[in-house]
Amino acid sequence: MNAVTTQPRRPPRRYRVANAWWTVPAVLYLVLFFVTPMLTNAWRSTGSPAAAGARGIWENYAVLVTDPFYFGVLRETILVAVIVTLVCILLGYPLAYFMVRKAGRWKGLILFCLIAPLLTSVVMRAFGWRVLFANRGLMNSVLIDWGLLERPVNLVNHPVSVYVALIQILLPFMVLSISSVLQAIPRNLEEAARMLGASKLRAFFHVTLPLSVEGIITGAILVFVLCNGNFVAALLLGGNSVKTLPLLIYQQFNLTQDTSFAGAMGNVLLVIALLGLWAQSKFARKQGG
Amino acid sequence: MSLVTVRKRREMSGLALGLYTVALLTFVMLPIVLVVIASFSSASFIQFPIRGWSLKWYVRAIEYGPFMKSLWISIQLAVASTLAGCLLGVPAALALARSRTAAARTLAAFLVAPISIPAIVLGFALLYYLSAVGIGVSFFGLWVAHTVVAIPYIARTVLAVYRSVPENLEEAAAILGASRLSTLRHVTLPMVRPGIFAGSMFAALISFDNLSLSFFFGSASATTLPVVMLSYMENQFDPAIAAISAIQMLIALAVLLLLERLYGLDTLVAA
Repeated sequence: MNAVTTQPRRPPRRYRVANAWWTVPAVLYLVLFFVTPMLTNAWRSTGSPAAAGARGIWENYAVLVTDPFYFGVLRETILVAVIVTLVCILLGYPLAYFMVRKAGRWKGLILFCLIAPLLTSVVMRAFGWRVLFANRGLMNSVLIDWGLLERPVNLVNHPVSVYVALIQILLPFMVLSISSVLQAIPRNLEEAARMLGASKLRAFFHVTLPLSVEGIITGAILVFVLCNGNFVAALLLGGNSVKTLPLLIYQQFNLTQDTSFAGAMGNVLLVIALLGLWAQSKFARKQGG
Repeated sequence: MSLVTVRKRREMSGLALGLYTVALLTFVMLPIVLVVIASFSSASFIQFPIRGWSLKWYVRAIEYGPFMKSLWISIQLAVASTLAGCLLGVPAALALARSRTAAARTLAAFLVAPISIPAIVLGFALLYYLSAVGIGVSFFGLWVAHTVVAIPYIARTVLAVYRSVPENLEEAAAILGASRLSTLRHVTLPMVRPGIFAGSMFAALISFDNLSLSFFFGSASATTLPVVMLSYMENQFDPAIAAISAIQMLIALAVLLLLERLYGLDTLVAA
């Protein structure tokens, strides 16, 4: 049989409206106001040149890793982010699944409830949890009225309120990441598994869940990075009971003005974020290939 | 197992998941609803149950100079940084979206990178850099900083939308004799408009509530609303903060409803 030689061949160069020069302004802007500041910050964190004699280049970083207090802060920063990320996955997945597969006409309303909090100020949400958790707040007054509590419990300035607020702030990001991937999984894959005799749970754990892992990873990295950058929850609800790096940077900047040390802490935070990005790119490549 | 039991069990599991969803959404909405309720309290200290209702905290919030002044600055800043982000981000995204070279992929990742940097680190680094080059704490400094974050949000959605539309439409326009400029105006830009729009909304809303980036640039002449709210709340715990929060939310909600009317929420989430 003759091969289909008459098929029109694509032109060697596809027509493009935009050319490479169009990227120049944005790239230049980011080099000037994003890359350079980050690099000068890295330089500053090694100690100002004048003080370099007194302080070695890695002095600030050495303090961060060896000093028990700062090492504790570093550990707590990562711990908080890991716990919040895990809780968001566990809480968020069923919600995303329900929204995509079961909600039907309620989907719009669920989406609205998830996006609406993102429009409010983080200060407002922290304030809301204070209203709920404060000594004379809603939770105490309700629990005492019902006879479940004798004396008010003060959850403000307690780690619990920091965790609760962070989970509430970050959960929508997780649900939206998972649901956008779930949305793209054809429903009939699951039905095929069911028809071939798999139980409902088996079909879920062997078909749907593995296919949606990408959404979980995207959401996890997003939540992890955002959690690492959030100092408002720890500042307004923790009352120094949860000490994280962003909170310490805020305090260093406001009180002590030790800029080179704050810069070093910022870079450590940055490294944590970059590790997250690296994990994501590695995963994306695996998924693509 | 009879068919009836199967159906019943399916309904039960659906119901349980539904109840779970309602409970979790209540948890997500709770603090916001509480703040709105508290803003209508007449007491000078927030406590429950609320004894009397009034609008006096809204009056106080509106009369309190720093709130209104910084609100206006926040609005200007959100608009200005989104515009700048569009001017820089859209052409770059159009140029990069369809190129399959490694360089294009790297540049696209670079454009989106500022999102992944903790804002507090970026703000801190930018403050000292801008002070060194003579811009420092000013509205202009805030504008420069917020534009750095606006570019990725806009580039990201435009990249996604432009990749999803068919490639040959522009080619067809060019073959039919349209100039590059009119192809861009009448074919390309209308196709990517949802992406520009969704990205702009993201960028504007992020800027409107970007505390971590803004608080480093706080000066007497130009401070944004979240920064003023934070410093107010560190000192006081009265319902005026609830009232100004509600006002801010109302503005953001109006923007979101506008987007919903024009394009639907799904566009915003899909990108």
